[in-house]
Amino acid sequence: MVPSPSARPRVRSFRLENGLRVLLAPEAASPTASVWVWYGVGSKNEHPGITGASHWVEHMLFQGSPRYGKGQMDRAVIRVGGELNAFTDTDYTAYFSTVPREHVGVPLDIEADRMTRALLLDPEVERERTVIYSEREGNENSPEFRVSEEILELAFRIHPYRWDALGYRADIEHLTPQQLREYYHQYYGTHNAVLVVAGGFEPEGMERTVRERFAPLPEGGEDVRVAAVEPPPNGERRAELSGPGTTPYLEMAWRSPALRDAATPSMLVLDAVLGGEVPMFSALAMRRGAEHPASRLYRALVDPGLAVRAGCSWHPQEYPGLFSIAALAAPGVALDRIEERIDREIARIQRTGPTPVEMDDARTKFQRGAALAYEGASRTGFRLGYFATVAPDGFEQRLLAALTRVTAREVRDRARELFRPEARIVVRYTPHGGAGDD
Amino acid sequence: MTDGETPLRLEPVARVGGLEVVRQPAPEGAPTFAATYLTAAGWGFDPKGREGTARLVNQLAVSAAGPWGRVELARRLDRAGGSLQVDTSPETAEISVWGPRDAWEPLLEILAASVRRPRFETEDLARAVRQLRERQLRERSHPGSRAHAEVLRAIFPENHPYRSSGLGDARSVARISRAGLLDFHRERYGGAGAQLVVTAPAGAAAIERAVRKHFSRMSEASRDPLRLPPMPRAAPRRVEVDLPGHSQVEVRVAGPSVPQAAPEYPAGYLANQVLGGRPLISRLFQNVREQTGLAYGASSHLETLRQGGWWVAGAGTGADRWTKVVPLVEREVARLRDQSVPDEELTTVRESAIGEIPLGLESTAEAHQLAVDVVYHGMPADFWLTWPGKLRAIRPDEVRAASGRVFDRNRSVTVVVGPLSAGPSHPR
Repeated sequence: MVPSPSARPRVRSFRLENGLRVLLAPEAASPTASVWVWYGVGSKNEHPGITGASHWVEHMLFQGSPRYGKGQMDRAVIRVGGELNAFTDTDYTAYFSTVPREHVGVPLDIEADRMTRALLLDPEVERERTVIYSEREGNENSPEFRVSEEILELAFRIHPYRWDALGYRADIEHLTPQQLREYYHQYYGTHNAVLVVAGGFEPEGMERTVRERFAPLPEGGEDVRVAAVEPPPNGERRAELSGPGTTPYLEMAWRSPALRDAATPSMLVLDAVLGGEVPMFSALAMRRGAEHPASRLYRALVDPGLAVRAGCSWHPQEYPGLFSIAALAAPGVALDRIEERIDREIARIQRTGPTPVEMDDARTKFQRGAALAYEGASRTGFRLGYFATVAPDGFEQRLLAALTRVTAREVRDRARELFRPEARIVVRYTPHGGAGDD
Repeated sequence: MTDGETPLRLEPVARVGGLEVVRQPAPEGAPTFAATYLTAAGWGFDPKGREGTARLVNQLAVSAAGPWGRVELARRLDRAGGSLQVDTSPETAEISVWGPRDAWEPLLEILAASVRRPRFETEDLARAVRQLRERQLRERSHPGSRAHAEVLRAIFPENHPYRSSGLGDARSVARISRAGLLDFHRERYGGAGAQLVVTAPAGAAAIERAVRKHFSRMSEASRDPLRLPPMPRAAPRRVEVDLPGHSQVEVRVAGPSVPQAAPEYPAGYLANQVLGGRPLISRLFQNVREQTGLAYGASSHLETLRQGGWWVAGAGTGADRWTKVVPLVEREVARLRDQSVPDEELTTVRESAIGEIPLGLESTAEAHQLAVDVVYHGMPADFWLTWPGKLRAIRPDEVRAASGRVFDRNRSVTVVVGPLSAGPSHPR
């Protein structure tokens, strides 16, 4: 039996006069409450010279606002047993705190204080510079991150999806406090934010509290459309990287449709059939990790001993992004053999599309995942905020309905459209040892 | 969940073929179910010369089992909306299942098949060996994994089960056969001494019925417990591993520690929270990141197992900064041992640890982890209800005294792994 995909909680939605969108998802039995603020700003709003600004501003919003000095936000939430953090992506920056329900006022107060009045003081910006270096360096220790950055560089020539949200190292060196303050004041504010409160509270009282805290904020914050349109790819692009490590690694990517594109349902099915994992509808709190033995890539690459790990990834974005396939070579296997096998697998799905069993499995997976995706206040806050930020109202429900109607032929046609040889990007990573002395 | 029940109080259900079955009421309204089987089958029991066996048995148990081949089992789980997960430690192996509450009994049947009747198919073994081999290589080449491995090697003597991460090496894994896996499984995946924790919407009677149906005929033979060799006397020491080409250096200050059942554990737990276990407000985070900007992450972890444990404090930092980070971390560990924690700091950390308990009840999976911890350590069924009282009773002088034993100065090691030679301030 497949449960109904109508697990989305009842949501009270309203907009304050200053433009702030608010979503309240009360769950009477919840012992916690989760407060999320999603801003429609990310690395899409940057340009060379200020790459990494969105992420840096995210860090600075923990470093002081009029009523919360440096470290006081953390302390206020954590001393009541709560947790808080934030993350930055290409299309958004999100802040969250989850606390025992009786303390929900604490994060609401913090978010109201820093939405338009974060301080971004010079000494704090300078101190954070090396912290951000360090975060980047930690990522660079992974060959997968190095390859991913190279893929973006090859795929995008003019669109701001060209760089990772961490930004270029050179820009982290040169960004000034004043540039960060200007960036913050341009993009942060009531017109470019969604406030989500989920969990254990009484909705009328919460609406009053939200209005008291957020309605006095001045209007502000721009949701700026990215004007740059990436031209169609005009041929395969390749790169060979080498660096520390012990296992050769291969990633291939193709330009993909944006989230709101009509192709999204068939793209999601294609992703599920090839790789097995679909993050948008993966509610699994306890997962098998990268192991999806029923998926096509696993059976083509891991089963016969060509790779120790293989999968694909599609994170639909506001603008056309990338669909990628990656594999970690099994000991002694050349990347040429892996690449050739991936080509054969692509040709197979372009020729015949998914089987009826695969179509059925994918649909079930979406419905099951969607039915469980709203468990707990934190996940509810995340999911409501994500869809409210990147998609129009009702998008998730329409998408789920569309997923039940996708046909195998549409998925096959999507594979033909997506996997064009002239649109392919290939980056291969060859390790040069570096395991150190015993 | 019926009136008066709480996920914070566990309920013994039955013993089925020696298997101790424990029920945890699911959080109210939770749409999911979870269950975990725990058995003394960690890598401390690996046959000599065939290290890696425990991990392979655990991993392959969820690959193909009972009537289901690997692909069929994966599809069955996907269709049910569930997943299987394994975890191996030096002492134990765990297999967990998670999924929608309406499918709890079919999912429990899948868990039972994985526990009782894994197939260990030859092709699966070959694949798992390749994956293990890659992890062995990665453990040596990635600064974070290598630092962890070096910490354990530096702390624990030869033949100590905590000394390795259970991956074995190329030669030991090459010696592992299907027959060896079957032997290990037969000996270690039984009923006696094992536990099954079920977090479900069902009552005790329904759970017992299901367990008797699916977990019957398990071996009730008792098994030898894990034996730890004595820890030799040791002096503080330092290990440096240069891994050129990487961007970040991993710094660790670490040492052996006490088991969770030790009387000083609650005070030691609070000491670790003060040091680096409580995110964002801990001393390491404040001093290594917030005040000096030397690292993105700085934290500490107290790993307490059934018979012993270890602690690790550390940070990841740049090649030009690690020589500044090492003394900072060492100083914070020493300060904890040498000075009392101020009342206000202790109160903040303690109330935070108490206040976070409701966050563990957000979902079935999170609540279930609380229950598994209680069962793993053999703690009372109402442990989480009494834990706040225990923490509130601890005084600052007890935290300091416990720090001396938990973070034993005489056995501590400092491990630094990464592009050491790239840093301009490297002392060599």
